[in-house]
Formats: sequence, C-alpha cells, structure tokens
Amino acid sequence: MGKIPPSFRSAISNPFLRKPSSLVPAETSQLTVTPSGKPHYPPKKPSQLRGKVKEAKDSDPSTTQKALKLFKSPSLSDAKDVFDSFIKSSKTFIDHRSYNSLFDAYASISTVNDSVAFLRHMMKSSPTFSPDRSIYHILLSQSCKTPDSGLASVHQALNLMVSNGVNPDKVTADIAVRSLCSAGRLEHAIELVKELSLKHSVPDTFTFNFLVKHLCKSSSLSTVYNFIDDMRNSFNIKPDLVTYTILIDNVCNTKNLREALRLVSVLREEGFKPDCFVYNTIMKGYCMLSKGSEAIEVYNKMKEEGVEPDLVTYNTLIFGLSKAGRLKEAKKFLGIMADMGHLPDEVTYTSLMNGMCREGNALGALALLEEMEAKGCSPNSCTYNTLLHGLCKSRMLDKAIELYGLMKSGGLKLEAASYATFVRTLCREGRIAEAYEVFDYAIESKSLTDVAAYSTLESTLKWLKKVKEQGYTI
Amino acid sequence: MLPQRVKKTITDNPKKLANLIDLVNLPSAVREFVGQSQTSRLGCFLRVWSYIKTNNLQDATNKNVVNCDEKLKSILLGRSHVELAELPELIKLHFPKAPK
Repeated sequence: MGKIPPSFRSAISNPFLRKPSSLVPAETSQLTVTPSGKPHYPPKKPSQLRGKVKEAKDSDPSTTQKALKLFKSPSLSDAKDVFDSFIKSSKTFIDHRSYNSLFDAYASISTVNDSVAFLRHMMKSSPTFSPDRSIYHILLSQSCKTPDSGLASVHQALNLMVSNGVNPDKVTADIAVRSLCSAGRLEHAIELVKELSLKHSVPDTFTFNFLVKHLCKSSSLSTVYNFIDDMRNSFNIKPDLVTYTILIDNVCNTKNLREALRLVSVLREEGFKPDCFVYNTIMKGYCMLSKGSEAIEVYNKMKEEGVEPDLVTYNTLIFGLSKAGRLKEAKKFLGIMADMGHLPDEVTYTSLMNGMCREGNALGALALLEEMEAKGCSPNSCTYNTLLHGLCKSRMLDKAIELYGLMKSGGLKLEAASYATFVRTLCREGRIAEAYEVFDYAIESKSLTDVAAYSTLESTLKWLKKVKEQGYTI
Repeated sequence: MLPQRVKKTITDNPKKLANLIDLVNLPSAVREFVGQSQTSRLGCFLRVWSYIKTNNLQDATNKNVVNCDEKLKSILLGRSHVELAELPELIKLHFPKAPK
C-alpha cells in the first residue's frame, strides 16, 4: 500500500488554478497539497490576473452582451458597418468601456490583422474615441493566442501600441505572458519577457513567479535555474520567497528532498525567513515519502521558529503519519490541532481512514465515517474511494458493495486504484457480472477512460484464470 | 499490485495499448455482427457487451453466464454458453497479433 493516492498526484500536478475573480493578490503562494480529490487550498497568488486585466475586460454587462450579439461574422467590412451604425444609433456619449467591449467582441471572432484594421477604423470614424491601454491589451492578448510560428503578430500589436504613444508596462508584460502560456507557448513567453525587459519594463514578481511555475511544470530543474540566474544577472530580478516555495514544491514533487533543503538554506542566505507555506511544502515532501519522523521534525522546527502551523500543516502531518503507519501519533495530532482551534475537515478524516485501512481496520474507518458525518463534516469522493479500497483489502465485500451503491447514487467518481481493487475483489469472489457492472459505471461516470477501465478488467480476468489454472486458493 | 502493473504495461508497451485501440479490418463474421468493416478490439468488446445487455442474454440464475443467441454464437466460437470472464479472451481471438 505504500503509494500515493491518485488524487494526491493529480492535485500536485495541477496547482495552477486560476482565480481571476479575486483582485487582491495574496502575498504568498499556498502550495501544500492535501490528500483529497482537490487541492483544498488552491494557490492564491501568482496565477491571478491583476486588476488591470479585469478592467480591460470589465464593462457594463448589458453593453458586452449587446456587443457580442452585434458581430455575427468575422468579416471586416461587416464589422465596420456594424460599428458605424452603432455610432449613429447611439445618442448618448459612448465611454471607453463600451468601445473596449465592442472591440473585444469583434476580436474574439476575428483574426489579428482584421482586429488591427478594425481598430484603425474605430479611430478614424469616431472622433470621441481615443484608444487607451486596455484596448491594446485586448489586441495583444488576441495576438498571443493566435497560433503562430514566431512572435510576429505579438510584435505587430506591441508596435501599434508604441507608435500610438502607449508604452508597454508591467501589466502588458503580464497579459502577454499569461496569454502565451495559456496557449502553450512558454518558449515565446520567455523570449518576449526578455525582450520587454530590455526595451521597456522588467516584469514584476507576479509575472516572474508565474513563469517560473510554468517552467517548473515542463522543463528540467537546470533550465529553471538558468532562467532565474539569467533574469537576476540581466535585469536584476531577484527570486522572492514565493519563487523559492515554487521551487521547493517542484523538487519535493520529484522526491528530491536534498535539493529542497539546499534551497531552504539558500533562501535563508538571501535574507528570507521560511514561512508556513515553505514548511508545509517541505513537510508534504517528507509525507509523500512516508518519512513520518522527518515530518514531525519539520513541525517541531516550525514551533521553534515561531511559525504558527495552520490547518494545512496539521492535515499534511496527519496524512503523512497515517501513511507511514503511525496512526497513534496521527491521532495525537488530531487532539493537538483541536486544541489550537483548527477543526478537522474531510481531508483530516480521510487521512485517518487511510491510516486505519492500512492497518486493516476497515471497520474502524467505517465507524469514523459515521463519526465525521455526525459532526457535520461531509465526506468527499476521496473519502469514499479510500473506504472502498480499504474494505476490499480487508475482504469485506458486502460492506464494499453497500458503499459502492452509496457512491453510485451520489454520482461520485471512482479512482483508478479503488476501481481496480474493487473489480479484483468482485472477480475473486466469482461475481464477474457485478465487476462488469462496475466497469460500466466507471466509464459512464467518466471516472476512467474506457481504455484504462478495460485494461484493468481484462488483466484482472486474465490473472483470475491463471490463478485458477495453477490451482492456488484465492 | 495490479493497478501499477497495468499502468506499467501500458507505459512500457505502447504496442499493447495500440492493439487495444487501433482500428483493424475485421473478418467477415465479426463484420456482420458489428455492422462496420473496421473497429478496435476495445470497440468490439464494448459492442458485444452492450449487445448482451440490451438483449438480456445473461442467465437469470447465474449472471456470470451468457446464453448466446444465434447472432452472438457466430462470433463466439459457436458456443451456446459463455462465461463473462472469458469474454475478453474470446474477442481477442478475432484480433490476431499483427505479423512483425
């Protein structure tokens, strides 16, 4: 059982949830992942679009909707006609937001060249209209999303900006980088950032950290370090605590704890003090390797340094200890966290159940499910999957089938591991038809791809046949 | 443990995955059953399984056994009873390994 639940893995590989709705960037990035289906504490900071972007897109909703309906074809001449009639028909003063949303609506369906021509037409035919920064940002973001072999159309947009007296600033760089990255053009984003830093302005820490995070996802560690060194030497952009947290999270995910500790000493040398997020990240690294003692050491270190552990800290610790088979200590921390005023949530309970199932105490885990529900904490799909897995492992098939019925009626998804264990247990008990039914549900609920679900079923049946032929008792 | 093993097989042998999802020209018997001239092994399995379900061919007393009708017989070696557990294997017989 010494493995990381799949949900954990997916949570780690996807710590870049965008939360464009919140306008105030938090100071630090929350990277610690909890052993549940989702990252419950999504990273708050570097992935946010800042206020300016919001402003560019924001407008009176009614105008936007009207504008969206106005442009029916991407044809430029049609769009010009629409714009002219809009100007004529509107009697009131048109503010820059209406212009922006008009332009945005057209840009969303047209090509970059047409958008540029349309913008020129807007300037020509409406004397009250003077393009502001936002409208160029709309154009820029469109050009970044255009599939392109080079940066030609991005340069076109930037040149238009500069020639009209609007100099690209930090926000421009940020929009370009995010648009390019969302279009999967990381290389171009880096190229552009360096170019903008040379000619106009250096990116701020948010843009920089966003880039580092993306780079970590796709490139080797040395590439990331080279990029950071490059930016430091050429443009005097220094990595901050968030950058280090991103790096530590990255190396922890590749199980390179030695590098993580080196990074901690580097960040101390740079004059930073590790905060709760840094500690949580390192603790998570140890927990994934089932190194319970080291995780506790990190906790003690936090206490020593006067860093207040938060809910994530306790959840990580309880998860790690449960995983390492040290359930008693995990329960001790459950008491401590309650004393500190943190209420256990579904993640805490699921971790404990995981630990109990590992000990073979699936019934105890089931009792815990009742306890948590009685306390008003509702289980998530990870909780059910953990229990299903545990019940199958303890050969309590009837209970497992009962639980599966609950999951099915709730429309919850099966995880690959619990699906495989369940199918195997059913087949072992000679309930092939039910295994086929689970197979159907796995596909129907989109828990697994049909290839994955079928491969598991097929190899389970193959294994069953082999075992029976060899006359082993199962 | 099985899940990892399956995963490992898939990542280690892209060929194994390929013979599951690649479209194959079907022999005439299967072609008639499926109604297409090409399908993948996975597609064929899903088709047969849904055929069994829609026509209620599972034995009422023992759900693990399929009572084949004439149409199903034609592709499952002419047998009148088939265990569900054998199904993937029987279907695989129609998808011989590609010559190297």
